[in-house]
Amino acid sequence: MASQNMDPAAAAASSTVALKGSESGGSAARSSVSKRLQQELMTLMMSGDKGISAFPESDNLFKWIGTIDGAQGTVYEGLRYRLSLDFPAGYPYQAPRVKFVTPCFHPNVDEQGFICLDILKDKWSALYDVRSILLSIQSLLGEPNNESPLNMTAAELWEDQEAFKAHLHSTFQK
Amino acid sequence: MEETVMESDSVDISGSGSGPGVAEAWETVTAALVSPGCPVTEQGLSDSLALLCDQGLGRLLGSWLLETLQMRLSSSVVPEFWSGLKQPENELEERDRAWILLTAFRTLLDRLEPFLCGLERLGTWQDEGRGGLCGPGPRGLQERAFTIIRALLLFSPSPVLQERVLEFYSRTFSVYMNQEGEAEDGAEAPEGPEGAVCPGCGVLTQQCWCQEALEQLQELSHILSKLQLLEWVSSEAVTSILHKLIEQRMEQHCRGEYECSFLLEFQEWLELVLGWLSKVFASEADSGGPVPAPGAPGVQAGSSVLKQWRCHMHQFFCRIYVNMRIEELFSIIRDFPESKAAIEDLKFCLERTNQRQQLLTSLKSAFESRLLHPGVHTSDILTVYISAIKALRELDPSMVILQVACQPIRKYLRTREDTVRQIVAGLTGDAEGCTDLASELSRGDPVTLEMQDSDEEGNDPEDWTPDPTDAVPDKMGSKRRSSDIISLLVSIYGSKDIFIDEYRAVLADRLLHQLNYNTAREIRNVELLKLRFGESHMHYCEVMLKDMADSRRINSNIREEESRLSEEEQPPLSLSAIILSSEFWPPLKEEKLELPPLICQAMEAYTHRYEKLKAMRTLSWKPHLGSVTLDVELEDRTLTNLTVTPIHAAIILHFQEKSSWTLDELSVKLGAPKELVHRKLALWQQHGVLREEAGGRYYVVETGSSKEKMERGVMLIDSDEERDSNTTTQSEQREEKLQLFWAYIQAMLTNLDSMTLDRIHSMLRMFVATGPVVTEMDCQRAGGLPAEEGQGASADGLSRRLQTPQIQLMEQEEEEEEEEEEAAECVRRCVHVLWGTSASGAAFIITELQMKSEEPPPTCRPGLYFDTSTSL
Repeated sequence: MASQNMDPAAAAASSTVALKGSESGGSAARSSVSKRLQQELMTLMMSGDKGISAFPESDNLFKWIGTIDGAQGTVYEGLRYRLSLDFPAGYPYQAPRVKFVTPCFHPNVDEQGFICLDILKDKWSALYDVRSILLSIQSLLGEPNNESPLNMTAAELWEDQEAFKAHLHSTFQK
Repeated sequence: MEETVMESDSVDISGSGSGPGVAEAWETVTAALVSPGCPVTEQGLSDSLALLCDQGLGRLLGSWLLETLQMRLSSSVVPEFWSGLKQPENELEERDRAWILLTAFRTLLDRLEPFLCGLERLGTWQDEGRGGLCGPGPRGLQERAFTIIRALLLFSPSPVLQERVLEFYSRTFSVYMNQEGEAEDGAEAPEGPEGAVCPGCGVLTQQCWCQEALEQLQELSHILSKLQLLEWVSSEAVTSILHKLIEQRMEQHCRGEYECSFLLEFQEWLELVLGWLSKVFASEADSGGPVPAPGAPGVQAGSSVLKQWRCHMHQFFCRIYVNMRIEELFSIIRDFPESKAAIEDLKFCLERTNQRQQLLTSLKSAFESRLLHPGVHTSDILTVYISAIKALRELDPSMVILQVACQPIRKYLRTREDTVRQIVAGLTGDAEGCTDLASELSRGDPVTLEMQDSDEEGNDPEDWTPDPTDAVPDKMGSKRRSSDIISLLVSIYGSKDIFIDEYRAVLADRLLHQLNYNTAREIRNVELLKLRFGESHMHYCEVMLKDMADSRRINSNIREEESRLSEEEQPPLSLSAIILSSEFWPPLKEEKLELPPLICQAMEAYTHRYEKLKAMRTLSWKPHLGSVTLDVELEDRTLTNLTVTPIHAAIILHFQEKSSWTLDELSVKLGAPKELVHRKLALWQQHGVLREEAGGRYYVVETGSSKEKMERGVMLIDSDEERDSNTTTQSEQREEKLQLFWAYIQAMLTNLDSMTLDRIHSMLRMFVATGPVVTEMDCQRAGGLPAEEGQGASADGLSRRLQTPQIQLMEQEEEEEEEEEEAAECVRRCVHVLWGTSASGAAFIITELQMKSEEPPPTCRPGLYFDTSTSL
């Protein structure tokens, strides 16, 4: 249903992605991706997790908006981040492109909002789903990987949690 | 001629030094003008005229005459007329009053006649150019004279004139009508005990003055038309008489009578009235004699006046009729098929008056005050709605009135829980009242939902008619405005599926309650519904019916197999099963019940046979559903052919092995909750089979204790039997559904900020793939649901928000009860502000309202801004 009601522009964009990606294309593949995404949405809705949430942005099931609340006990507590999730036509065999829409001051997030997270890159597996991605990012917020920082300032400041928190909260903008 | 001029010494008028001949000539001429009787020879007159004209006095004649008329009028004629009219202060008979009225006008005419004649003559002279006279001619002069008369006479008319005229006209009207249409006015005139009252003039027959009145009318009209006062004196009276009479007649004849058309009858009656009017107005034409030359225009004027009056009358009639019918429209609709005549009349008249708006407003408010309140049963509302559909589509084929006026009904029905059930019951012919729906269904037109595209595009473009101006500009064009009753009812909810779901539940209930395999009636209904809703929608129901047929076959098959068994292998009880394809049936009630081994064995055997028949399939029993027919044999009596539910049967079967049980033991044995068992035991107690003794033990009453107990039992039988539906109730299902929707809505609003209800609806439709259909109603209910369940202020805030075009999830960071309430109140206020100022069609966004614990009462920080980019 969703695939028929798609925004044509978005559909065109995604189909180029499909060509670039797995070349599998085809409406059958596409509808199976839709089905999977729909199922994931349902799972996410039924899971009732606190602090994470996502929903398709418009009629296009391949573009979602996600919301993550900073976990309790971390410096991010009380902050809410918005993310965009972009599913390639090869999903779930290809990882979705996830980035922060809300600017995020974090060692593993760069200024454009790109996230350095292994499961979104080489460790991606078709067994992950939207819920696990969001949960991973939520925990990444509290436990950054300072080995491979994208944001050096943040990585350096991380050691001083108080200063980090102060900086984070003073620069946070919705 | 020169000499005469020289001789004249008169200086009275012009002072131009004319001779005495001029004065003489003036005398001669004016005498001839004012008193036509005086003997003046034509020759003398002509000479005098010529003389006057020579002196340039000719043109003064007209002015002089008019001046004189004016003087005379104001000094004597007008006061005389008024005092004559008022003269007798004391009470008089109507007849005398009429006489006085006539006399007053007679005198008026007498007094003015000489002047009018004089003017006429002068005018004629002028026309003839006699003696070089020139001027505006008789018409012009008279015109001016009449203006003067009207001005002076009616400058300050006393109400007495209007009163008298009104009275006189009413009387002559009734006299006239009495003479012309005796037959129908018979009822109006109450015959007194003496029986001698003339229906026309309302006095004793001996003193009847009907004829006289008519003659008087003729004379009065004559006088008035001669003085050209007719219109000024009579119009008002006539108008009010007509109004009053039409209204009166309508009250008497039409009010509350919807079953026959009154148009024709009134048309005839109006023609009669026109006859009277012609007596009032056209007499100048009839008079013929005194107006010789310009007679033709007079006749024309008369008939054109009549024509005008006919139009007026018609207009009065239509307006009054429409007013009355609008008042009664609700009752008319209620009685619809019988009141068709009234609707047709109304349609005719409504086209001629501009009262659609009035009709709509009145009908809407009638619906609201008489129909749409909690005291009215849903089926009655539906019945009226159906009548309204039928009646209004007669009244207004463009369906605009229907659409607009019934909007409140549809809106209200949406709030009623049992609407769908009632409609479905109506469709299947179960409801007592609404047989309309069942017959409508059997007409078998396919449902065209307004939401869907109908393929009626093929209409001839020539046939297109524009919508009436009061049409609601909406997404559906006029061609989509359906008048089909079932479509309209179904579209209350905007989706067929909700009806089909309900029908499925009803069907399941019926099939399962029947406990035989007879489905003839249901098959018929399903077929009819298939015609309406399309094959695909009714697929589930089809499967259900097929299940029944299959069950019957399988059952007889198994029975046959059993009957072929040897005597000892025969099953201890005969078991029949209805085998349902669980996917296609609405969810059945889940209840736990352990049946006694005897029955379990029978069921197992049955299952076994079934598995043999249908490989790879098995049965999963619903032990609590069904019915058992059993005989209870006690020491001294036998209860035969008791039909009870399985749990009842299970209970009594346990008593077979042991004659006393406690509630706990039974409950364990049956695997059913104690309360339930207790309730079910009541049936057997009523039958006098069991009794409860101290300590909660139940014993079998082997020896029939007493007759009366038995009778009491029979009386109370089934008092426990709540006719449970076998399927889970609609509300339980809905609750689950709403929980799911609520999760989706929450997620939507969390991630996408604010949305309109429409948008939420469409998103739900798109993304809630599995599960039941979403209706807009459900969105609203889902919004309302958490609030009811007390999820705190945020939910409350949301549900309030649902009233506004834009919806956004509210967040409160505070947990404290009071603050939450305040926040909710705040939101409410915001909403009110928004609602109050919002122009429909514009979208509003409320920015997130967040509360800090330090800030005592939440201020209305949200910046309310107007967003025109998102339109609804």
